[in-house]
Amino acid sequence: MRNKNTLRGKVAIVGIGQSPSGRVPGRSPLDLTADASLKALADAGMDKSQLDGVLTGNAYASSFHRFSVALSEYLNIQPSYSNTLQVSGATAGAAVNTAAAAICSGLADTVLVACGDSLLTGMTPDLAIRAMTESRDQQYEMPFGIPVANTFAMTAHRHMKEFGTTSEQMAQVAVTFRQHASRTPGAQKTDLISIDDVLASKMVSSPYRKLDCSLISDGAAALILTSAEKAYEYNQEPIFILGGGEYYSHEHIFLMPNLTETGAVQSAQKAYQMAGVSPLDIDVAGIYDCFTGTVLMMLEDLGFCKKGEAGPFVEAGEITYGGCIPTNTHGGMLSYAHPGIPAAWFHFTEVVRQLRGNCGERQVKDAEVGLVHTLGAGFSTHATTVLGKGSTL
Amino acid sequence: MKQLTEEDTIQKPLPIADSDSHAMWEGLKKGELLLQHCEDCGHVQYYQQGLCRICQSKKLVHRAASGRGIIHSYSVVHRSPGPAFRDDVPYAVLLVELEEGPRMISSLLGKDFTHLAIDSPVAMKTMKISEQVFLPCFELVNLADK
Ligand SMILES: [Zn+2]
Repeated sequence: MRNKNTLRGKVAIVGIGQSPSGRVPGRSPLDLTADASLKALADAGMDKSQLDGVLTGNAYASSFHRFSVALSEYLNIQPSYSNTLQVSGATAGAAVNTAAAAICSGLADTVLVACGDSLLTGMTPDLAIRAMTESRDQQYEMPFGIPVANTFAMTAHRHMKEFGTTSEQMAQVAVTFRQHASRTPGAQKTDLISIDDVLASKMVSSPYRKLDCSLISDGAAALILTSAEKAYEYNQEPIFILGGGEYYSHEHIFLMPNLTETGAVQSAQKAYQMAGVSPLDIDVAGIYDCFTGTVLMMLEDLGFCKKGEAGPFVEAGEITYGGCIPTNTHGGMLSYAHPGIPAAWFHFTEVVRQLRGNCGERQVKDAEVGLVHTLGAGFSTHATTVLGKGSTL
Repeated sequence: MKQLTEEDTIQKPLPIADSDSHAMWEGLKKGELLLQHCEDCGHVQYYQQGLCRICQSKKLVHRAASGRGIIHSYSVVHRSPGPAFRDDVPYAVLLVELEEGPRMISSLLGKDFTHLAIDSPVAMKTMKISEQVFLPCFELVNLADK
């Protein structure tokens, strides 16, 4: 099964760090990202001189075009490998996959993969919403007043029409992740909510109401990846990359081949195949949760349930403790934090903590294999990463 | 990243035609939605490109769409994406499937959403935004009128 041309077991995450998140006024995206990066170094017990690679996403509230280069200077690091990636919400997974590939190929030994932004206090709400809207096409989408929520909302309407998915079933995702966040130190929203609360919240872009939508936050998170050979030299139990896959099916929402089946099918298949696992082997998941219905479609496309059955699957408690696949145990973007592009970095830090067994009262028992799926731009971009403890190699 | 100003959020984003799309935006000024038909493989495409998305042929001819289509999906926007659209809410963004095959993003004319549903038939009307810009919009076809 083991092919030398894959990432499986060759690279590990050896350090994780997070800045404060939620409402964090008075701190720039670079400051937040440097904070998370230094915490990741401290977590690993590593000196920054050992980093020779830096990958980041971009920050809306920062004017730097080359955020990875700016971050390196801010920390006084001169890497021999660096890039600022932009595939919207899938940037986190793509950056981890890319860092792992760089380490496997010898382009870098040890890579800092970090991202931070201050969408909540570094920008006005109008600017933050408009900045995110600017990612739609200037000619064929933006003139029609298409907010970010709109593309995802249209896929949700199709899912409701084709499979009978209900607003109550989507609301259950928000309710579950809020329960998870209530046990996570540092979560932005911890007050428990009911399905009725979600249904009573203001309509944003039908069928999505306010509580179906992710938060707007400040915050940063960082990961440090190194080769399997060096992985045991540091403080923490290394968590290995078992497989990675990506898929980019379209740019414009009107060219999405099928509104209820996404490129997550292909990206996950590739990641599972590389890892030598099936969805049944995954103990804990981090799934990009920009909207509640997004999670339903991903549960299907990642293979945790059959197409069209995610509504009943979520209602049956399958995405929380004791269910098939405990998901977003930190609370996700719906309740933990959503600082924009960095949001999915928190899915990685949480799944790594789960696999280390460091989650205290929110620990998923005996978690050995985890999955992170990040996506963006109206399901245009997908990146899947399968992670595992050393015992899974 | 490009730093937006408050001023930017007040302005509606308007299409800026490029060499690929110039003909389409010109056509809309005359009330026509031009689609590209590939003379080599028969593919009909929206949006305008320099080549056919299926066979990469450059033999593309423009033909006006019938303007008829059905709603493939939609979402009614209640929270505006910034000040530029604040006076417009609520408004419906449509994903229309044209009779000729391609889908496109557009908006519904008017604010009567009672008959707005997936598979509802719609017909195109152009809406004048400025001397240079006419947007293709749709209205629901009242089946009783047919
Ligand atoms: Zn062709």
